[in-house]
This record gives sequence, structure tokens and C-alpha cells, in this order.
Amino acid sequence: MPLYIAKRILYTLPIMLGVAGVCFMLVHLAPGDPLVSILPPDASESLKQQMMALYGFDRPYVEQFLRWLGRAISGDLGTSIRTNRPVVAEVSKAVGNTLILAALATTIGFVFGTLFGFIAGYFRDTWVDKTASAISVIGVSVPHYWLGMVLVIVFASYLNWLPPTGAGPGGSDAWQWNWAHVRHMILPAVTMSVIPMGIIARTVRALVAEILSHEFIAGLRAKGLSSRGVLRHVIKNAAPTSMAVMGIQLGYLLGGSILIETVFNWPGTGLLLNDAIFQRDLPLLQGTILVLACFFVLLNLVVDVVQTALDPRIARS
Amino acid sequence: MSTATLATETGQPPAAAMAPPALLEVRDLVKHFPMKSGLFGKAKAVVRAVDGVSFDVKAGETLGIVGESGCGKSTTARVIMHLIKPDSGSVRLAGRSPGAGGLTMKAFRSQVQMVFQDSYASLNPRMTVEDSIAYGPAVHGINGSDAVRRARRLLDRVGLDPLRFAGRYPHELSGGQRQRVNIARALALEPRILILDEAVSALDKSVEAQVLNLLLDLKDDIGLTYIFISHDLEVVRFIASRVMVMYLGRVAEIGPTEQLYGGGRHPYTQALLGSMLSMDPDRRTETAPLAGDPPNPINPPPGCRFHTRCRFAEAVCAASVPPLFVRGGDHAVACHMAAPGSGHSQAGAIS
Amino acid sequence: MLKAAPDALDGPIVRSPGYWATVWRRFRRDPVAVGALAMIAIIVLMAILAPWIAPQDPYKGMTLRRLRPPGTDGFPLGTDELGRDMLSRLIYGARLSLFMGVTPVFLALFIGGAIGIAAGYVGGWVNSILMRTMDVFFAFPSVLLAIALSGAMGAGIVNGLISLTVVFIPPIARVAESVTTGVRTLDYVDAARASGGGAISIIRHHVLGNVLGPIFVYAMSLIAVSMILASGLSFLGLGVKPPDPEWGLMLNTLRTALYTQPILCALPGIMIFVTSISFNLLTDGLRSAMDIKA
Repeated sequence: MPLYIAKRILYTLPIMLGVAGVCFMLVHLAPGDPLVSILPPDASESLKQQMMALYGFDRPYVEQFLRWLGRAISGDLGTSIRTNRPVVAEVSKAVGNTLILAALATTIGFVFGTLFGFIAGYFRDTWVDKTASAISVIGVSVPHYWLGMVLVIVFASYLNWLPPTGAGPGGSDAWQWNWAHVRHMILPAVTMSVIPMGIIARTVRALVAEILSHEFIAGLRAKGLSSRGVLRHVIKNAAPTSMAVMGIQLGYLLGGSILIETVFNWPGTGLLLNDAIFQRDLPLLQGTILVLACFFVLLNLVVDVVQTALDPRIARS
Repeated sequence: MSTATLATETGQPPAAAMAPPALLEVRDLVKHFPMKSGLFGKAKAVVRAVDGVSFDVKAGETLGIVGESGCGKSTTARVIMHLIKPDSGSVRLAGRSPGAGGLTMKAFRSQVQMVFQDSYASLNPRMTVEDSIAYGPAVHGINGSDAVRRARRLLDRVGLDPLRFAGRYPHELSGGQRQRVNIARALALEPRILILDEAVSALDKSVEAQVLNLLLDLKDDIGLTYIFISHDLEVVRFIASRVMVMYLGRVAEIGPTEQLYGGGRHPYTQALLGSMLSMDPDRRTETAPLAGDPPNPINPPPGCRFHTRCRFAEAVCAASVPPLFVRGGDHAVACHMAAPGSGHSQAGAIS
Repeated sequence: MLKAAPDALDGPIVRSPGYWATVWRRFRRDPVAVGALAMIAIIVLMAILAPWIAPQDPYKGMTLRRLRPPGTDGFPLGTDELGRDMLSRLIYGARLSLFMGVTPVFLALFIGGAIGIAAGYVGGWVNSILMRTMDVFFAFPSVLLAIALSGAMGAGIVNGLISLTVVFIPPIARVAESVTTGVRTLDYVDAARASGGGAISIIRHHVLGNVLGPIFVYAMSLIAVSMILASGLSFLGLGVKPPDPEWGLMLNTLRTALYTQPILCALPGIMIFVTSISFNLLTDGLRSAMDIKA
């Protein structure tokens, strides 16, 4: 087992390298030259040359990549062109905000998803199953950013129960765990939880139905195991995979939060990304994507290892 | 590490004394499978599935191959078919190796065919029965409608009404019917040798009997040569004229059926064939003939593979590999007790 | 030794229905799946027949008529923020939304499928290289990758298509590789090799028929995601650019009406939702129909 973990960790390194490569390459996909957002269009040629040399844009790509990578590993992701603050600072502030939201959303999604999935799988092919399954399909099919808008319309506009946007009075810098702030989280978190809920529900349903259909369940029942005992057994067998799915969903939410954060103006990495794109703030764009992608890779690694620990069959395959 | 070689004691390969040269000659076949482990998938252990196997198959005979699970029977079959590439060794059909000496792999393939154990997995679930059978001929250049006609004729030959079965799919057939289709498919290329790898093992007994009789009929009609691999010793006794006993990737003994079943010379043969339970109440089996578990082919014992379970094992058995010694005629044994002067206290005693 | 007369062999034989015919028969009996198929057919028809059924020009707007509610005279679903008829824009929007949703998946099906099948059949180091490359792209969450690529390349339909296709190639390639590897180890492929078939012949006759089904169904399941992603891109201002009608873009531009005419905001989203759920239900039904236990 420790060998498996070591192998898995070692395997992550080339992937991270590839990810870094893709991040780096993104910038050079951009049309136009990279200085277009820094310099005014009528800048002199010599100024352009100077800036190119300063930023290192005139060197061969491989060299640029390695320098950028070297700096990134030591914690320097460059400076945001727009705000002139270090990218690392911007990103770390935003990541915390997104993480809170994503964690809450994943939890909601997991709780309800498991609930719906479980009763759907347990009472398979009855109306309970059909209803629960319908809810999960809806969860997966709804464009979540639109749902966010609808929730804003209903809860903020009509009912005036919850605030529509933002992260609370004083903005994100003054975050506290009180109701005044937390109430800003409710709508975005619920919106974000819908897709994970749908996916987890469908997964759990399939798992539960599959486990229950195994012949050894009939054997256990024949031996007199109570329904609660069967229940416990099902949970034990379904737990590893469902936790894995939850972990992955958390990763997706971290990476894909941009849409919701745009709707709700939540100051997380998604909003940061949005700003970076539209202001062509390439260092910020690169840095944010790199951080998010690395998070995702590490999360996958953790999920893999935990799942293997819970279900040793995987390591043997 | 020496591999078992055909007998050097008499100075000639066993079948050379007889007039017709062997149809199929297998020499020193070796196939090892690396087991991947370690950080970068480097092979840490090796499964020695086939470790120096040599034998001849004469035209028109049925050679049975028996042995416990893991002894390498199926791997040998697949290596002969060149579905798996051998690490070393040669396979010659009528004296020529495929891929050299004027015999292309495709031509070789049309002369040596195989029927697999799993009748369902051997047929493409998306192809009709006649298309499956016609595939081989079509690949060899026979045009479409002729191939189909040949397929239907073969269906009839194996006892399936072509009008009822040709357009059906494998999942609509029973196990026995599917195996008949597999036989028809194997015959579609008009081969000289048919390898049957546990071909009847998965069938019900009554169906098994029917298919065995079909095989015997076909053999007489068409003049086929069979290699019949099975773990069912009674069936092999029924159908085979010569039997080869394999143990852990090597040949233990090879000879005419009744000589081996009457009392083979290799201790393993005796244990294996002696372990067949008898219906005769006077011949009760009191003790199990074989002790211990079969060792696995990853770390086989040195020297004679069987020595760890052999009642007659001595120091020489662990020290060197016994060559395949010809007792006379068709019968050869790989045991130190057979070859005089091998160093075993009973050397020469069983020859 | 023939039991039947020789010319009887050319006679009519009993032909069982093929695999896809059986799948269709089972599919037909599932009301939800058929309903979903019908819904998609309606939406596709709507897109194709847009020039004939839309009452107005989707690009023409009058500032005087901005943000009228549904039920206004001559504008059954109201007008948008530039005074254009909502109904017409929704109908025309089907074209771009469907196009942006479905095309990347089909392109990815071809490219990813080819990569996966090749990797699965050939195996060895070729497989390793191809799949490890896919893994690098897999290491990004799809939304992030799509936005990163579009963001870097800039807005526009073509860029949006490219980035979405790139997002979907790795998962399809992975499924293709896994299914192909599974099929390749089966005995009937060995039997085909033993019959003398070459690689191309075996792939064509034995592998493809057994592999395309699962790959195709998987790709179908991605269409709903693709539609949401594509409209999401337009929502953010990447992808389709104004004034083209596209449902996601409409959601973006109508945000200003969130507090004044909220119903208008809801409408394009409903269209995306209905299309997306129809594709999901269709895929579910197809999967059940294909799950034939012999």
C-alpha cells in the first residue's frame, strides 16, 4: 500500500509539469502580442523592446517556461498588470473565499445527493425512485448560473429574504462568521450544490442498487440479518466510491466556480479569473489557472489515496 | 539454465524412427510473462508459463495434453498459433517455420486453427453466425458469396441447419450450438491441424458427448490432426491416441495413451492419472497421491520442477533438470529415474 | 454428407434482427425516452425552420420597445433590452445554442474516439504516451479549461468551438481506450487474428462494431454538459458575441432586467434547461435500451 501511494505521488509530478506547460502555453495562444495591455498602442519601438526584455518575452519559449516555472515553484507568480500587486496575494485571498463556498456547496450537495440517491436505490423502480431520480436528473441538467439568477429573482427580488450579491458588508476583507455575512453565502452555495447533488444522487443510486442486487445480500438476509444490518453493510460498501465522487465534485466546483461567482459577485477565484480575462491581465490569468489546476490535481491524488485506503481492492488491480 | 531437450540418449528424436516425418514440430518453446511492479513498471518477477517444451505431432493422430491449472497448456497452444510471440524456440509445420522458408504467417494460419474454451467469448456478438464463419475465408481472398456458401455448408456439416442458424446471433444459441459454430469456423479455412483448448470443458456432459462424437466424425471424414487440451482425464483417454503430461511449463512425460494410463513412468503422471477416482468399489483411494500445493510458475523449484512433491526425490533432482529420455518408440519421460547414469539412485530402474 | 440439398443453401434463411434494431425496439417502449427524443426533434426543427416560423427579425430592435413584458401586443414573449422580439430571438437562438452544444461533442467523438481506439488496440508505449497526454488535460476541471482556452484565444464562435472540443477529447478518448482494451482481449479477436485477419480488418469488422456503441452513448451524455458550458461561455462574454442570438448570451445581456422584468431573464434559461434535460433523458433511455443481457 505505501508503495502504491508512493507510485501515485510520483506519477502526479509529470502531470503537474504538463499542467504547468499548458498554463504557460495559454498565454501564448492569445492573439496579439503580450504587451498589448501594458503599453499604449502608440508606444515607441524602443520602449516595446525594453518592456519585452524586461518581461522576458523575447527569449525562446522553453527558456521562458523554465524561468516562469522556477519562479512559480518558489512562490512568485508575477505581478498583476492591473492592480500591480503580486499575483500570489490576489489569488490566495480569492482562493479562501471560493473554498468556503465550494465546501459548503459540496456538503449540501453530498447530504441531499446521498439522501436522494439512497432512497432511490433502496426503493428501486417504485414511485419513490422515480421521483428521486427525476430530481437528480433535473439537478444535472439545469444551467446552474441560470438557476442562480432565478433564485436571486425569487429570494432577493420578490421575497427580499436574502441579499442578491456580494460577500457581505465591508466586502470580503471584513469577513466574519456572523449571520450578516453568512446570509450572503446561502444563495450561491445552494446554486452551486445543485450539480454535485445530481451527480452524487445518480452515483449513489447506481451503487446502492448494485450492492443490493448482489447475491450475498440475500444470503445475509437468510441468515437473519436485520434491515438495519443490511443498511450498515450497504453504507460500508458504498462509502468509498461516494466519498471519491464528492471529492472530485469539490474539485470541479473549485475550478468551475467562475459562473456562479459572476452571477453573485462573490469575490473568489472565479471572479478573479473573469477580471483577468477581460482585462487581459495575463500574469494573473496564468497564475490563477495554475493554482486552481494544481489544487485539482492534488485533490484527485488525495481522493485516490483515501479511496484505496478504504477499498484495498483498487490497489491490487 | 538448461531447458529440456529431446532425448540425447538414443541420439535421435523419438519420432524419427518412424517413417512419416511429424506434421508439427515444436522445439524448445519458451514464453515468460513479466509481472509488472516496481516504480516504473519494471519486471520484478517473471511467470515462466512455458519453459522449454518440445514435442511432435504426427499427421492424423490426436495428441492429448493434460496437466493441472497453471502448467502452461493453454499458453503453449496460443504460442503454437502465434497469437502470443514465443521468447525462443521454434514451431515447424511440415518442416517449415511460419515467416521463413516460404511459409507466410497467413498460410500457416490457414493450416493450423483453434477452438477456444469459452464458446460465447469466441464469437463476435455483433456478427451473425454465417458472417463469423465466413470471415476467415473472406480474409484469405475468397469472394463474399462463396464464403457465405462455404459457411452454410459447414454449418450443415457440424449438425446445425443452415436455414435456421446462419442468420442468428451468438446469444441466441446454446453452449453446445455455439461450440459447433466455433468448430465450423475453425474448419472454414480447411486446416490440417485443429487445436482444441478445453473446447468441451464448459459444456454439459450430454452435450459434451455429442460434440466429442462430432469431432471424431470430422476427423475421420476430413483427415484432421487434433491437439486436444483438457484437464478432464477421462475425456482425453477416450479421444487421444497419444498423451503429453505437462507440469509447470515443462513436459513431464509423453507417450501412447494406454501406456500412460496403464501406469506412466513419471511420478507425476502416476499421481495425476492415479488420482482419477474409480467407480470400482474394490479400488478405493485411501490416501491422496499428491502431497502439497502446486507451486506457482513465478518461482519454480530449481532442477526438476516436481521434486518438491515427489516421493523419490534426491539431491540430483534439485540440482539438474532431467532431460526428456526416450524409453523406446514413442514414449519419453523427463525424470532422473529414467535415464541410466543420471546420478539418481534408481537411475535406469524405470526404463 | 450434406443433409440439405445443395441449392437449399442459397435459399432464404431466418435472419434475426441486428443489434441496433433490437435497441430501437426496446427504446420505443420507454415513454420517457421517446418523449425526450420528440422534444429534441421539435427543438431541432425549430432551429431549422427559424426563418419561416419566427414572427420578427431577431436583430431588429427599437429602443422605444425595450423590456416589454410577455403578452404585449405583437410580442408574445416580450422584448429584450434592445427592443428585439424575445420569441424570435429564442427561436433563432436554438440554432447557435444547438450548434455550439452539439458540434464540439461530435468533433471530440471523432478525434477522441480515434485516439482512444488506436491506443486501446495497439497498446504498449503508444497507449501510454497517448493516454498520459490525455491525463494532463484531464487534470483540469472542464469549466476551467474551457474558460482558460477561450479566455486566452478571445471571444468568438470558432474559438469557443475549439476550446470546447479540446475539453471533451480527453474523456471520450479515455472511454474509447478502456472499451477497446476490454474488447481486444476477448477470444473472438484472437480467433479473428488466428483466421489471418490483419489489424485494419480486425478493427473494422470486429472491434468497431462492439466499441462504437458505448463510446457513442458516452458522447451523447456529454451533449447536455456541452450545451450548458457553451451557453456559459457566451454568458461570460466569451463564445458567441452580440448581437447574435444565443440563449446563454441572452442570459448575460438580460441581467440588467433582473429587477424590472425578471420573467425575461428566465426564458432563455428555460430553453437551455429543456434541451439539456431532454438530451440527458434521451441518453438514459438509450443506455437502458442498449443494456441487453443475453
